Amino acid sequence: MTDTDPFAHVPHEPGAPKKDPIVTADNVHRHFGGLTAVEVDHFEVQRGAITALIGPNGAGKSTFFNLLTGFDKPQSGEWLFNGHSLKGVSPAAVARAGKVRTFQLTKALSRMTVIENMRLGASRQRGENFFAAFVPKLWAQREEEITAQAHVLLKRFKLYEKKDDYAGSLSGGQRKLLEMARALMSEPEMVMLDEPMAGVNPALTESLLDHIVELKNEGVTVLFVEHDMHMVRRISDWVVVMAEGRIIAEGPPSTVMQNEEVQAAYLGVHHDTDLSEEGPA
Amino acid sequence: MRARIDRRVLLRAALVLVVAAIAITVVLTLAGPAGATAEVDVTSEPGTNRVAQNFFNGVVFGLLLALASVGLSLIYGTTGLSNFAHGEQVSLGAMLAYFLATQQPVSIPLIPVEFTIGLPLWLAAIIAIVLAGGSGWLQDRFLWSKLRKRRVGVVQQMIVSIGLSLALLNFLQWWIGPDRVRLSRAIEERHQIGPIQLGSITAMSIVISVVVLLGVGYFLMRTRLGRATRAVSDNPALAAASGIKVDAIIRLVWVMAASLAALGGILMALYDSGTKFDVGARLLLLMFAAVTLGGLGQPFGALVGSLVIGIVVETSTLWLGPDLKYATALGILILVLLVRPQGILGRAERVG
Amino acid sequence: MDLLFDLLREAIAPTTAAFALAAIGLNFHFGLTGLLNMGQAGFMLLGMYGYAITVREGGPIWLGIIVAIACAAVFGVILGWPTLKLRGDYLAIVTIAAAEMIRYLGRSQNLNDLTGASTGIRGNDFKGSFEELSPFPDSMVTIGPFTFHGTRSTSWWLVLVGWTLVGLMVLLYWRLSKSPWGRVLKGIREDEDAVRSLGKNVYSYKMQALVIGGVIGALAGIVWSLGASVQPDSMGRPTTFWVWTLLLLGGAATVFGPVLGSILFWCSLVLVKGLASAFIPTTVLSSQQLEPFSLALVGVTLMCLVIFRPQGVLGDKKELAFND
Repeated sequence: MTDTDPFAHVPHEPGAPKKDPIVTADNVHRHFGGLTAVEVDHFEVQRGAITALIGPNGAGKSTFFNLLTGFDKPQSGEWLFNGHSLKGVSPAAVARAGKVRTFQLTKALSRMTVIENMRLGASRQRGENFFAAFVPKLWAQREEEITAQAHVLLKRFKLYEKKDDYAGSLSGGQRKLLEMARALMSEPEMVMLDEPMAGVNPALTESLLDHIVELKNEGVTVLFVEHDMHMVRRISDWVVVMAEGRIIAEGPPSTVMQNEEVQAAYLGVHHDTDLSEEGPA
Repeated sequence: MRARIDRRVLLRAALVLVVAAIAITVVLTLAGPAGATAEVDVTSEPGTNRVAQNFFNGVVFGLLLALASVGLSLIYGTTGLSNFAHGEQVSLGAMLAYFLATQQPVSIPLIPVEFTIGLPLWLAAIIAIVLAGGSGWLQDRFLWSKLRKRRVGVVQQMIVSIGLSLALLNFLQWWIGPDRVRLSRAIEERHQIGPIQLGSITAMSIVISVVVLLGVGYFLMRTRLGRATRAVSDNPALAAASGIKVDAIIRLVWVMAASLAALGGILMALYDSGTKFDVGARLLLLMFAAVTLGGLGQPFGALVGSLVIGIVVETSTLWLGPDLKYATALGILILVLLVRPQGILGRAERVG
Repeated sequence: MDLLFDLLREAIAPTTAAFALAAIGLNFHFGLTGLLNMGQAGFMLLGMYGYAITVREGGPIWLGIIVAIACAAVFGVILGWPTLKLRGDYLAIVTIAAAEMIRYLGRSQNLNDLTGASTGIRGNDFKGSFEELSPFPDSMVTIGPFTFHGTRSTSWWLVLVGWTLVGLMVLLYWRLSKSPWGRVLKGIREDEDAVRSLGKNVYSYKMQALVIGGVIGALAGIVWSLGASVQPDSMGRPTTFWVWTLLLLGGAATVFGPVLGSILFWCSLVLVKGLASAFIPTTVLSSQQLEPFSLALVGVTLMCLVIFRPQGVLGDKKELAFND
């Protein structure tokens, strides 16, 4: 960290205000029947940094992720991206606004080739309009552009050799990589990764981590959910801890785990069921 | 899962009925004078109130429909399969009973020998139900359990069931022929009870279906096997983990569903004083409507849904031509999916 | 060998073309987008009503076609509006119910003046203007081994028009499925949420697919009715199921699958009936039993196809149209 560290003066407390927040959320509440899944009073994400969202099973991390990306709707609350409210905005529009997510259970489009997966990720495609689709002239050039862009990304993610294979034939780790690369096709301002390391073998984990750091160097904001503290410590600039639907602590990765509440939360609810799985997917 | 019926649910159900009534009225006014066709009703004897009579007929029809749709719902609940061949299970019951009971010469496909069995109806019905139950067992043993083992998706299974339905439907036509047949030549005695007429055979059908439905309810709520069935319905993985033999339960469900459907087919044939190879195919969508109305996969919902559909089908003839009565039920199915996709009794669940 | 001629005749018959069209429509729904439309016969029936009624009332052919297309499009929108946001099997139940409703309404006595109730609309009432356009002579014409009438009903003229339409629609499917638009639909077939997370309006695309496939179904209905008449009961559930069978037979999500499937389907029916009547004595299988016998085989074929070769004849094993 240099002296331009954006977190230099940020207090180590839940809901701490950031210097230049890209995402802010206020009073976001989500209940499933009588169960409270998410109850976040205030939350900010620093622009251009890597923020980790951690917490024990059932803390509501994935539900919160779904809420921030429009895949689920809270009972109440207000949340902004780049100063614009995303309340009631569809997931597709959230993505078009520049905030793209990946999923905990990878959603590679198995019966499409890797390169088609990538092309689908690109935005501003005229050929995706029904009428324009009839006239290749209108979209052939854009197609070439995005194919070139896809090749660059695939080379970076070491998937270039696989570009003409069906995505279904990739290994679990390669699918994770593909999903991440695909998310980058739209050149988003912010990516939200839901457990990017889950089910990835250790050899690939390293390169995945490098990719995330590289994203930050390119100016992309990253928010990710993760269980493994080693990973979190290695790459994140800031850590937000959730438990029982609330944010209970925030701080730099080196110190946040020493927080007593965090330790209590991790020890206390070890055997609780995971709300994110129990709530309808 | 004793669904807690709160006031909102009842309100919504009422809303659905009101909307349906409005829709029927609108269609009525658009379609012009339909009263003339509805006037031709056989039950126009003195002292008979047509509204009460149709309502009552609706309840009877609903009970018989429930026999078939409870099985459809159980299958959906335990396996996730929308079984399009369930209609043919209803027809199969009726056709088997006819085959065993009729005094006419009958034959078996591809065997050019005609013979007469002519069993008494009650015996024929029992044998038919047992045979139909056996067909459920065979299906699950040699088809559905294999598909489940191969992890064939439910959509694929659904299309397999469509193929099976086509095959069975045409097989039954091939076997019994395309004409309407009667299970019993007996003339029904009719009694006037208050504002309605009640035939003796119909009365017996009501008693049988109520007893059987109560039996199914008792089985599901009170017996160990029934509770296991509901557990599989709720969450197969969890049920398997807690030591329930999921495959055995599903096999049982298939046998039960097929037998219930056959019983429904036989009683329906008596109630309608005649049946045909495609009787089940005609009823299939009403069953789907009933099951969806009650909440997919919930056996008690299927009962409620069947009663609603039965009453709607029969009372709609008061306003609309009898040739539109099934259309009305399907219209309601679509309306319900609009207002409350999880059905009347279904749990609120995010879909899609 | 008469049977061989019968087979070839069946292969080019207008019915075969009509079913190929209906299957191309269904291919947009199921093959590309993964939508479970179980009411394709309803779209076909609407198409033929729209065309036949317009033309019977004195409308020109182009207006009849536009009305048919509009009916199918509106029907698609109404069906899709509530169901495309729900789980897939809801669409299956709603489409099959809605198609049956169309049929019940069509055959209802209340609408006798409009639809001719259960007898339908006689061919003579609406085929005239189409048959007048025929460049073929108004008599039986033999080309190669086949003899059809030049202009009337199942005619060379209808064969020409029907297969030209099939050709155009194959081209349409090919163009669209290879475009970015088709890519989005394929993505939806694979995983809606993933496509949503990439910024595409899934609901709108599903609606577009439903409408375009339904409109092609309506065109199929017109071709079918020009070869026969408008008969609501011929467009019941079995018709939809046949369309499904022949689509899966040829291969869903392939360009030529629906066409090949339709030809194979109808030829096999002729073949089965021909062989059965030639080799099975009528004491065992009477001519009255031949029809249900062969249709029972269709059902078994559908089951076997889905279980053992879900990719059909032309499909690629890796790009099955079914989700795991």
